[in-house]
Amino acid sequence: MELEALQEIDSNVRALGARTVVLTPELERYTRSLRKKLNLTFDILTDRHLKVAEQFRLVFALPDSLRDLYRSWGVTLDRFHDESEYRLPMPARYVVDRRGIIRGADVNADYTIRPEAAGTLQALRGLSG
Amino acid sequence: MPRLQDRLDEFKKSFESGGAPYHTSREAVEIMHRATAELKASGAEDRALQIGDRAPGFTLFNQDGTQVSSADLLRQGPLVVSFFRGHW
Repeated sequence: MELEALQEIDSNVRALGARTVVLTPELERYTRSLRKKLNLTFDILTDRHLKVAEQFRLVFALPDSLRDLYRSWGVTLDRFHDESEYRLPMPARYVVDRRGIIRGADVNADYTIRPEAAGTLQALRGLSG
Repeated sequence: MPRLQDRLDEFKKSFESGGAPYHTSREAVEIMHRATAELKASGAEDRALQIGDRAPGFTLFNQDGTQVSSADLLRQGPLVVSFFRGHW
């Protein structure tokens, strides 16, 4: 649902001279079909083994109870992510200016809470040049 | 356009209700809630990079196997970088 919300603002993002990229530990064979299915016009980049998410300090390991629950639902992260340790990134959205400085940051440990796309557009509009 | 959070809340309510189509058990809901509460309590959010920090650069493969570099993109304009756990 978050990807659809980002898609809804993608033309506005581009009109501001900016670009959206989504980083996920999912392997390319899954991101390709997802992007097609949702008709996304931005790139989904595979952050293999969460190397970039680690640098943004977003990575956490699932507790055993949750790992076992996900496995029972067929969500085997070893397969989707090549991630045997069952780590995930906290959901996060950053707005980065041309100098590479973070000018907007939404991070939430509760993965059921996501920032509104409108706020992201507002942060982009607030950048000077 | 409905708010994203309203759509998410609606899904969560249905998922956690125990009814069709998900039939999530009470126990499963408790495991998920406990894990989220523990992560929240750990202070992990506060350790993440914040406004004013320099964003780490990256070069990664996109869905078509093409390399994409943040430095190249930033030369053209600002970036929205969204971290997504997966669609499973």
